[in-house]
Amino acid sequence: MFKVNGDEIFVIDGHMHNWNASRENWLNDYGEGWIKCFYDYHSGLSPEDYVWPFEKYCQYGEETLVKDLFLDGHVDMGILNSTNLFEFFKEGFNPIDKNNVLKQKHPDRFILCAAFDPRDEEAGMDKLRQTVEEYPVGGVKLYTAEWRQGSKGWKLNDPWAYKYLSLTEELGIKNVHVHKGPTIYPLSRDAFDVNDVDYAATDFPNLNFIIEHVGLPRLDDFCWIATQERNVYAGLSVAIAFIHPRPKYFAEIIANLLFWLGEDKILFGSDYAIWSPKWLIEKLMAFELPDDIQEEYKVSLTQSVKRKILGENAARLYEIDIPARKTTLSKDEIGVQLASAG
Amino acid sequence: MIDQEYRQTLDGINLSVPSCLDREEVLRQLDSVLDPELDQSILGLGFVKSVECNESHLTVELELPTYWCAANFSYLMAIDARRNLLQVPGVDDVTVRLGDHFAAKAIEDGANSDKPFSDSFPDEAWDNLEQLRDLFLRKGYIGRQETFLRQLINAGLSYEEISGLQSGDVVVDGESFWIHRDGAEAVQVGPASVAWRYFQRREELGLDCSPTGALMRDLRDQSVPAETLETYFARSRTTRVSSEATGALCSVLLQARQTASGIA
Repeated sequence: MFKVNGDEIFVIDGHMHNWNASRENWLNDYGEGWIKCFYDYHSGLSPEDYVWPFEKYCQYGEETLVKDLFLDGHVDMGILNSTNLFEFFKEGFNPIDKNNVLKQKHPDRFILCAAFDPRDEEAGMDKLRQTVEEYPVGGVKLYTAEWRQGSKGWKLNDPWAYKYLSLTEELGIKNVHVHKGPTIYPLSRDAFDVNDVDYAATDFPNLNFIIEHVGLPRLDDFCWIATQERNVYAGLSVAIAFIHPRPKYFAEIIANLLFWLGEDKILFGSDYAIWSPKWLIEKLMAFELPDDIQEEYKVSLTQSVKRKILGENAARLYEIDIPARKTTLSKDEIGVQLASAG
Repeated sequence: MIDQEYRQTLDGINLSVPSCLDREEVLRQLDSVLDPELDQSILGLGFVKSVECNESHLTVELELPTYWCAANFSYLMAIDARRNLLQVPGVDDVTVRLGDHFAAKAIEDGANSDKPFSDSFPDEAWDNLEQLRDLFLRKGYIGRQETFLRQLINAGLSYEEISGLQSGDVVVDGESFWIHRDGAEAVQVGPASVAWRYFQRREELGLDCSPTGALMRDLRDQSVPAETLETYFARSRTTRVSSEATGALCSVLLQARQTASGIA
């Protein structure tokens, strides 16, 4: 909850992780390269006071996460990603079984996302059914650049991906978070190309596609697709971190999103632990679009727009009744702790 | 029309170049290597870590912003750097190094023997990278055009007026470019480099650059009429922001990487 002038803003962190990237878990150089690259995002864009030592960043644990999100970080609920990366990390990066431990401790605080990989073909379909039966799955998180036995990625419009998306819908899951990464087959094409989203969004009109990092580095192509497809949304993680080191570009990115997609289709995400939600939210709430940008784009970033971005839009997608959920959360372990801290 | 060769200043570049080489020439050659995705020079982006030479054999080490920078773009930068540096007088051979990168070995082996990309990644790439390169030259055109068009708008020209301009109305004088129209007072618009970048790419893509052709042309080489110019500008703006914001992210990441080298 972010409090401003007696007003309470309900915050859903649309993109966060509970990862283990400790040295013991590195399977090879890629695991090391992975977390070091993440660390550069963290140290390069965070305000100085929020930069962690590398060791803590590799494995921060549940207690730190709960403190950084809920106790200190203004967040009410988090959408917990599952990212496997079994070819880089021995026990995976943040697989669903580990995430579920956290979910079970704070059931009303998290939306648990499952992952699937269409390259698992038939066997993976059964596994997805089983996962949904076994775990309280709220959405799915897809990472199309994951390596698998020599393959460097997949596309949302691959034939097997369509079978998985049909199954997702059949299992009653509505929200699909999609993250584009840097390596995808074939390597000779643009690895960040977002056009497969266009096909999937058209062919699965009952699913919502939340494109993490607003399609960056392909913000333009993402905007064209999201303008045409009513079920495509912008996940703001990474883009929002510009607000500290490069506020001018944050202003231009958010102005473009408001211009093309509108205020109902943008979802806040911290990408924790890459960045801590506390400073992102505080800076967003304090941020004003420069006059020249407002004038040129004819958009505004008022408090009511910020309220939608921070929580209302995600709540609508996940059918969360905010007033009712606030009551529930005030009574859980974290809520009680927050109340006693005043 | 711009016919003089515009030369970007290299004064701010503090890359050390061995004294056996012509520094100016080495820097010029590196400056014309672009990060295709960002449409900016690898020299200006700070991606050139070192240049060394052993008699006529030059070794250049690149440092990219992340370990995961896409293999295809990394390959293009490596092979372009090598080909360009081979033009430097007195250089007979060039070796490119990529440092800490997930595909360093495959890219270095391929670029240093001037092999096509698909040979370096035989099971993962089925063609060379010309299509990819072309796609980003075209995106770059849109970005350059937006910057140019923005200068015209800021100088007070209306969409109607801009749409009526011909390429020959653009005149470069010193560090600025101007609009000279028949029967109207000349207008000083913006930095010469902005006009030069626009026309240079336009020529590279084979779009009409003749003095009597329309100044505002789209990628199909059609003039952009006044009534659609505002929408055209709004779309181009998003492409420019996408590329510039990515460039800003890359510069932050490169800095972080340089600071962090030494940890862990």
